[in-house]
Amino acid sequence: MTKQSNGTMLRSERARILGYEPLDEGDWVTGLHPMDDLLRGERLPHIWCQGCGLGTALTTFIGALQWLEKNQDWDLDKVSAVSGIGCTGRIAGYVRLDSFHTTHGRAIPFATGLKLANPELKVVVLSGDGDIAGIGGNHFIHAARRNLDITVVCVNNFNYGMTGGQVGPTTPHEARAVTAQYGNFEYPFNLPYLAAASGASFVARWTVLHARQLEWTLRRALAHPGFSFVEVIAPCSTAYARWNREGRGLDEQNLGRRGLETMKYYQQVGRTVTDAHPKDVDIKFNAKGEITEIIEGEFLDEAKPDLKAAMDQRDEHAEKIWLAEKDAVDNRTEIPARKDHIQRAEVKLGGFGGQGIISAGRIIGVAAAIYDKLEACFTQSYGPEARGGAAGSQVVISSDPIHHPHPVEPTSMIILSQGAYTKYVPSLAPGGVLVIDDSLVELPDDHRTDIDTYGIPATKIAEEAGTSKAANTVMLGFWTAIVGVVSREAMRQAVAESVPAKTIELNLKVFDIGFEHGEKIKT
Amino acid sequence: MKNGKGQLTGEHFLLGDHACAEGAILAGCRFFAGYPITPATEIAERMSVRLPQSDGVYVQMEDELASMNAILGGSWAGVKSMTATSGPGFSLMMENLGLGIMLETPCVLVNVQRGGPSTGLPTLVGQQDMMQARWGSHGDYEIIALSPTSPQDLFDLTIRAFNLSEKYRTPVLVMTDAEVGHMTEKVVIPPVEEIEIIDRPQVHKGDVEPDHFRVYRDSVNGGNGYISPMVSAGEGYRIHVTGLTHDERGYPAMNAQANEWNVRRIIDKIQAHKDDIIEVEEQNLKDAEVVVVSYGISARTSLWPIQMARDEGIRVGYLRLITVWPFPEERIRSLAKKVKGIVVPEINMGQMIREVERCVAGQTQVLGVHRPGGDVLEPDQVLNAIRKAAGRSKRAKKKGKE
Repeated sequence: MTKQSNGTMLRSERARILGYEPLDEGDWVTGLHPMDDLLRGERLPHIWCQGCGLGTALTTFIGALQWLEKNQDWDLDKVSAVSGIGCTGRIAGYVRLDSFHTTHGRAIPFATGLKLANPELKVVVLSGDGDIAGIGGNHFIHAARRNLDITVVCVNNFNYGMTGGQVGPTTPHEARAVTAQYGNFEYPFNLPYLAAASGASFVARWTVLHARQLEWTLRRALAHPGFSFVEVIAPCSTAYARWNREGRGLDEQNLGRRGLETMKYYQQVGRTVTDAHPKDVDIKFNAKGEITEIIEGEFLDEAKPDLKAAMDQRDEHAEKIWLAEKDAVDNRTEIPARKDHIQRAEVKLGGFGGQGIISAGRIIGVAAAIYDKLEACFTQSYGPEARGGAAGSQVVISSDPIHHPHPVEPTSMIILSQGAYTKYVPSLAPGGVLVIDDSLVELPDDHRTDIDTYGIPATKIAEEAGTSKAANTVMLGFWTAIVGVVSREAMRQAVAESVPAKTIELNLKVFDIGFEHGEKIKT
Repeated sequence: MKNGKGQLTGEHFLLGDHACAEGAILAGCRFFAGYPITPATEIAERMSVRLPQSDGVYVQMEDELASMNAILGGSWAGVKSMTATSGPGFSLMMENLGLGIMLETPCVLVNVQRGGPSTGLPTLVGQQDMMQARWGSHGDYEIIALSPTSPQDLFDLTIRAFNLSEKYRTPVLVMTDAEVGHMTEKVVIPPVEEIEIIDRPQVHKGDVEPDHFRVYRDSVNGGNGYISPMVSAGEGYRIHVTGLTHDERGYPAMNAQANEWNVRRIIDKIQAHKDDIIEVEEQNLKDAEVVVVSYGISARTSLWPIQMARDEGIRVGYLRLITVWPFPEERIRSLAKKVKGIVVPEINMGQMIREVERCVAGQTQVLGVHRPGGDVLEPDQVLNAIRKAAGRSKRAKKKGKE
């Protein structure tokens, strides 16, 4: 950009060079003020009222950034400012940084995404008390809990300013607001205490009239690794100060004067106590809701790992888990695809939780879909069906595409508990095949005669082989032999890739016992 | 972008939700923010394992409001981002889906639909959020939503969702459901180099004089459907973006004229590229007397009754909406002139059927097959509607068969 010899330029000239029409009437000179580089001059004048504390808050913030740029080599291109909605929320629109004006209360989660996705960025949230502690309160405590490496600057003016002065989560008890004209019946947050209790590692508070101290604190807060929180007490000259007759005196009709008087008042009731315990720093007020003491200072500065550092420690772990899974899939042995045409077969498995009903169903699916190259759709039962520890799963197998994912009328069933017997067997298709673990299921007198029933003492066989946990595999072997929808070799491969490595041998052994038992019964 | 330490390829027997996560990672997603909710939780679970292995970041947020916002932040940091949820969480995400649209932020939101309203049926299927997908956030906008029928399709469409979101700089919804999400089937994952991956048009440091850069630049030819290149945080452009109505520079502009420019911009960029965005699957439409128009799991389950009806001699065609939003208006309009009836099966009390009726505009009969959430449609329900649309009673079916 070309600048006049003294470094200044008319706004209209700047706009012409940038190729856009200025939005508002009027001209101003840019390049004169030492903070011009960090302000979006074309957006000024700002919307804040005379006597508002936000101008000072913005100035101290920019001052802190300039100091960090000069003294700690900060690249301000890497700084993102994020705001929510409200008067303070407008700060994002005035700073010449990457700046994001998000939705009400959501600046912190937006900042979380920015920071985690690109840890190189320095991310600062600037928003008001309503935004941070009211609608965004949940985000605030959770970001603090995670010790996410961002800085949150909360400008507290004790009410919702932009909407006209409504009561908020920081309004003192008995103070007045447009929606608390009889006095606020609620009690305010102690924000530094809330932040500290939630896990923030840097916590401070100043009023805007402590501009120097505030700027110094902001430098430290911005440079602090971890979640830093700075509460800035500022007057709302238009709403809160007026409703509560703060800053009255010389000229009550003059907003700027009232704001200034209020700033002085906040400063006068201020008491600097560095290293005060955050629990002791709640803003004191009298029975009329008038503020009587504001404790300021840096209350907490703690070194502890921030969220990203904690996340990065897990990388090594991640690799281990992944390789195990990849190995299982990579080491598959192809088996010859089946040539026979399989009609839609519907298998239902039932038992109680812990018997491996879900894994057994999935194994059938793997065998059919991956090894036998059939279509297979596996689902498990949820909802009311799964109540009382019951477990159910089902597999539909076919040579043709499976349009309907659930069994309509199961053609075979694998049942490992009396409860599952009672629940599922009535739905088995006439002529269907029922295989049961007869060490667990007893057939009642009125057992269906229109189905073929085969029993095997699966749990007993598994126990003899070493563990009752493998009863489901015995059942799979037995079912494979009797029903014949899926090939024995496909099932063996599927079992081997699905069970824990240490138990492959045992599972294949009991699978074969079950299979041979089935072959024998069938003939 | 690194492809991860362990690239999955080949044949897998995958849960739908897991297939979705794998698709996302292949598409280049490296940031996931979510909140546990049935039946979408398995997407988050898979991402929590897989992203750290792929140089990505998984974070569980405090709620769905935060999740949606976090992925917008992730996307503005230059990283492809996704979240996944269901019913109640989808409602919470609506606020910031709007922010995503307004800021023109590429990202993917997966809704594994369950039965509603309210807490409804957490574990069971529904297709009841289809209109919420279109109109759920306040204000005027266009949205892109895709609807898969199987784990393989969910895998493929998740990649497509990322591609569309990057290409058009807008949030894209994957409107799947509990049935597809919780179903396990074979999924074939091709090697990454065989998959088309689209990245957002982007401006990097030094490409443009920062003072001349405008976040929402219009095209020279009037701006209709032009997608401005995106700049990430930290590139030195010192951008400003806001959920307020804004101008080209991203600055708030509080007047009707600016709102018109702004709203037209986010609508036009989708409308102007409908042909690229809209995808349908068609079967036997040429000679069809009845057409079944459906999407997602209901489209899949309809194929069985369609086969039964064809066996009865009814000439049934099949039109499946792969892209649900924007709605394929022209396709439905042209069909309406040719067929005796259109049957719309869906697991809700009548949502997409309204769109079909709007396009048909009385030119043919439209029969809905509806049930609220809880289960897929029964084949007979759909079959009977097809018969009715074809003007055959149950008895007439034998005649039709000859």
